[in-house]
Amino acid sequence: MTNKSLILIVEDEEAISNFISTILTSNDYHIITTKSGKEAVLLATSHVPDLILLDLGLPDIDGIEVLKNLRQWSSIPIIVVSARAYEIEKVEALDLGADDYITKPFGTSELLARIRNALRHSQGNDNSRSGSQVFTVGELKIDYEKRIVKIGEKEIHFTPIEYKIIMLLSKHVGKVLTHAFIMKEIWGPYTNENQTLRVNMANIRRKLETNPAEPKYIFTEVGVGYRMAEKVIL
Amino acid sequence: MSNLNETEKRPNPDVLLDNIKDTHKTRGKLKIFFGYAAGVGKTYAMLDDAQEQLKNGIDVLVGYVEPHTRPETLNLLEGLPSLPPKNVIYKNIELKEFDLDAALKRKPELILVDELAHSNAEGVRNKKRYQDIEELLNAGIDVYTTVNVQHIESLNNVVGDITKITVHETVPDYIFDRADKVKIIDIEPDELLRRFEEGKIYRPERARTAMNNFFTKENLRLLREIAMRKAADRISHENQTVRHMSEKMANSKLLVCVSHSPSSAKCIRWAARMAEAFYIPWAAVYVESQDPDSLTEEEKKTKRSNIELAEKLGAEIVTLSGVDVAVVIAEYAKLSGITNIVIGKSQHKKLFKEDLEDQLIGLLPNIEIHIIPNYKKNAASGFGLRRKLSDKNIYFSWSDSFKTILFLILATGISYELRAIQIGDQNLIMVYILSVLLVSRMTKGHIYGIVSSVLSVLTYYFIFAGPNITFSKIAPGYPLTFLIMLLVALVTSTLTARIKTQAKLAVKREQRTETLYEISKKLLATRGLENIIKLTNENIIKLFNRSVIFYTNPETDDGHILQAPKENAAFLKKQDEKAVANWAFMNQKQAGTGTDTLMGAGAFYMPVISGGKSLGVLGISCEKGRLSQNSRFFLQLIASQVAMALERQALSDEQRFMIVESEKERMRSNLLRAISHDLRTPLTGILGASSAILESDDTLDEATRKKLISNIKDDSGWLIRMVENLLSVTRISEGTADVKKTPEAVEEIISESVSRIHKRFPERSISVKVPDKLLIVPMDGILIEQVIMNLVENAIKHSPDDSVIEINVKKSNRKALFEVIDSGEGIANEDLPYLFDGYVKSSKKGPDSSRGIGIGLSICKSIIEAHNGKIEAANKKTGSGAIFRFSLPL
Repeated sequence: MTNKSLILIVEDEEAISNFISTILTSNDYHIITTKSGKEAVLLATSHVPDLILLDLGLPDIDGIEVLKNLRQWSSIPIIVVSARAYEIEKVEALDLGADDYITKPFGTSELLARIRNALRHSQGNDNSRSGSQVFTVGELKIDYEKRIVKIGEKEIHFTPIEYKIIMLLSKHVGKVLTHAFIMKEIWGPYTNENQTLRVNMANIRRKLETNPAEPKYIFTEVGVGYRMAEKVIL
Repeated sequence: MSNLNETEKRPNPDVLLDNIKDTHKTRGKLKIFFGYAAGVGKTYAMLDDAQEQLKNGIDVLVGYVEPHTRPETLNLLEGLPSLPPKNVIYKNIELKEFDLDAALKRKPELILVDELAHSNAEGVRNKKRYQDIEELLNAGIDVYTTVNVQHIESLNNVVGDITKITVHETVPDYIFDRADKVKIIDIEPDELLRRFEEGKIYRPERARTAMNNFFTKENLRLLREIAMRKAADRISHENQTVRHMSEKMANSKLLVCVSHSPSSAKCIRWAARMAEAFYIPWAAVYVESQDPDSLTEEEKKTKRSNIELAEKLGAEIVTLSGVDVAVVIAEYAKLSGITNIVIGKSQHKKLFKEDLEDQLIGLLPNIEIHIIPNYKKNAASGFGLRRKLSDKNIYFSWSDSFKTILFLILATGISYELRAIQIGDQNLIMVYILSVLLVSRMTKGHIYGIVSSVLSVLTYYFIFAGPNITFSKIAPGYPLTFLIMLLVALVTSTLTARIKTQAKLAVKREQRTETLYEISKKLLATRGLENIIKLTNENIIKLFNRSVIFYTNPETDDGHILQAPKENAAFLKKQDEKAVANWAFMNQKQAGTGTDTLMGAGAFYMPVISGGKSLGVLGISCEKGRLSQNSRFFLQLIASQVAMALERQALSDEQRFMIVESEKERMRSNLLRAISHDLRTPLTGILGASSAILESDDTLDEATRKKLISNIKDDSGWLIRMVENLLSVTRISEGTADVKKTPEAVEEIISESVSRIHKRFPERSISVKVPDKLLIVPMDGILIEQVIMNLVENAIKHSPDDSVIEINVKKSNRKALFEVIDSGEGIANEDLPYLFDGYVKSSKKGPDSSRGIGIGLSICKSIIEAHNGKIEAANKKTGSGAIFRFSLPL
């Protein structure tokens, strides 16, 4: 990375804010911090950061409101920081346009990985990938033009719906897609194909993974959605 | 689960009571502008008053004012905000109606709605405008309205007698009586007539006819008097202390006998006026004497309208059945402490029977009987009745004819034999009389008895008397024989008919009682809301053979529908039908087909009420025609049984909810007690290590510092897991008592838990086996994930580092079975029973050696139990190691 990326940290808990700042600074990021949601919106307009770390529990306005406000005019990558007990909150945030979420408590390596990932997405590093005709991760290879999916050299057959789902996940590789988002993309709005989605996912998993209970390519975020792995540890 | 949610919403009785008090407080006030004829200036006075109110800053709205042509009145409308009328298309004519819903939505402080007695066009929610006004009042809106004296229900016939014009649009008296203010608008009849001549009231061409018919000076004077009297009655009622009155009349109760004759209406009105004047309760009784088929359609209709009239005027409706009307009424009167009976004078005299009123006087010497004379119309009705009866008597059946002939032949045969052995002729006559008696007994109606008596006389005469004795000699005796036989036939067949009807009625009554008993018995034995609803629906279909829908609350649930055979009940699910059900629920009144409210609906809705609170609504499809009065009455009985069952269910739900609540409370406090100890240990570690680093940083060597820092990290990791477990507990207690279940794929849950475990213990190997076929289990995914993680973590802690942890999932009949197996030392036998119960650890180890795990397992147990599942631990049968098993229902 040639330029230092600017990251806006919206977090009211000073200890957490401090620890995040320290880590990010030492990893060569510029940072601005704020404790209030309203200020966050102002800072986002004036400084135009490359990424925003947004805590949902803020003293003045709800983090979700900040997210809505920001998403009205900007596509700055936003990573939502939330507490694990409330997966509904996460789903809401993702559906409102957050790029990713990270659950408290989190370790430094996880945080840095998420940030790198989100930045890469926004800086178009993976646009080239989605623009290209072939998607590869681990042994999985998807040829968009020929509509062929391969594991190693073995071609795998998918039903049209399954192919659509796998394509969708690969286009947003590394990002959590909520159940609602996937359903909307595959079956159109106003449908509730929750059960069907799960059945399709199970079928995909059986075709892709060696052990469906220890997947390598498609991960489940319980109560939230699915994510396709960016890297595979073989 | 839904039951519990139900109870959760159930408000506390005190709050309810407060609500009721509140609604009483906030019920709107009704002011009636009361006149004796059109044109006295009611609307003018109303608008004038409204203008005054507007000036006082009241939010006034003109809901509906008849479009008068009088410019003075129209002028007064200026400045008053008004509601646009609702256009209703009825039979291709566009009618303008008052828009009730818009008014309720707008919710002004005061609304003006002209013409209280108006009947709404079909397609509007309520049949009558006064019902609209009641809804407005219930919504806490004050209402101004106008009405003329001839529209008051109880005065309807009085006015009709005077003016010879029957008014069909009437208002029940209670509306008038309960009005907060009645303002009488009065002008001299002469003045009114002058206005009339000037064409201020009607258009000139109509004025002429009206003048000849209605607006005579005589009529107007009388009407004025009646109106004044009515108003004066009201005042005198207000002045008398109610208590004083009620003490005096405490034991009075009025009973009016209703028949299917149109003249009954007069009795009903009279009784209503009486009851009102003396402040006494009154009931209207109808006696079903014969099977319903004996009434003509016309009569049934009159009967129904009579009963409805009585109901509208505030009577308690009693339907009795029995053959002897007088006896039935007398019985009822004695039992229910009736002091006065109002009865119409029966017109058609019967030869051998006393009049009903005379019978009643005989039977009830202590009760006052008021006899209201009837005139006009009843001749026709009497005739109709007789025609119908004779229809029934000229009833023909092959089997009965056969029986008649058989008995006559038998009698003749026996007579021959008797004659052969020289038995006297008088005995032969006895044989014939016996045959007549038997015929009358065995056949239906009077006709066969009469025919057989005639035939007997004739056969006897021709066969036995004819050849031996000269006609002239014996002739004088025969008419007498014939008469006796005829009487025997008549008496017997009448008795038989009566016994048969009685038996039929008794059977019918018996059936009802039986069904009702059956239903209440079953309801008593039924547990659970769903089952109560199912049982009710099934029984209603069995009884009425109509589709039924049951709402526990039309606002929140979608209703449980049960379709009768050969009926399409889909329409019951429609939104407008639901709205009717909701109306019935909110207003605690019957609605839909056959009632006065929302009669356009396809079904009849009966609220299920207990203790002044709606517990549900029953909707009965009326595709096969409206429900009879009787069926409705029966339905009401069923509804009250259902109400009791629902009430009981709610109570038991509440009780169960309390038990669960207290159980949870106990668990939580146990937990808190246990963790307060467990939390201290890692916190001490963190505090100690961090302060050591801060205070003696310069003296510490690199290795020690690293060690202290990694201690902090370990301890906080432990704290995090503890907190996550605790969060799980709050997740259970956040909801009502159960967890929120969604269908989850088991493999997804397992894979997520395993990957999280892997992050923490990357060096441990875990083998996972899930079924090949996708297994979807309803559960709270996050919680089950927590359970699996706790169990795996537990296994990791209690087994050697190089051993493999196994996770197996199997499906076994309607359950999903999860197993976590380790190959550690296993569980000490004395610990097994207490493993999930809490925080007692085997005394061999120090409390810190396996901190938190006890809590982890007990949390697992509560999570699994909240899922209605089971959890258990055991030692492996072969080799060492423990197995933790839990199952979830599918």
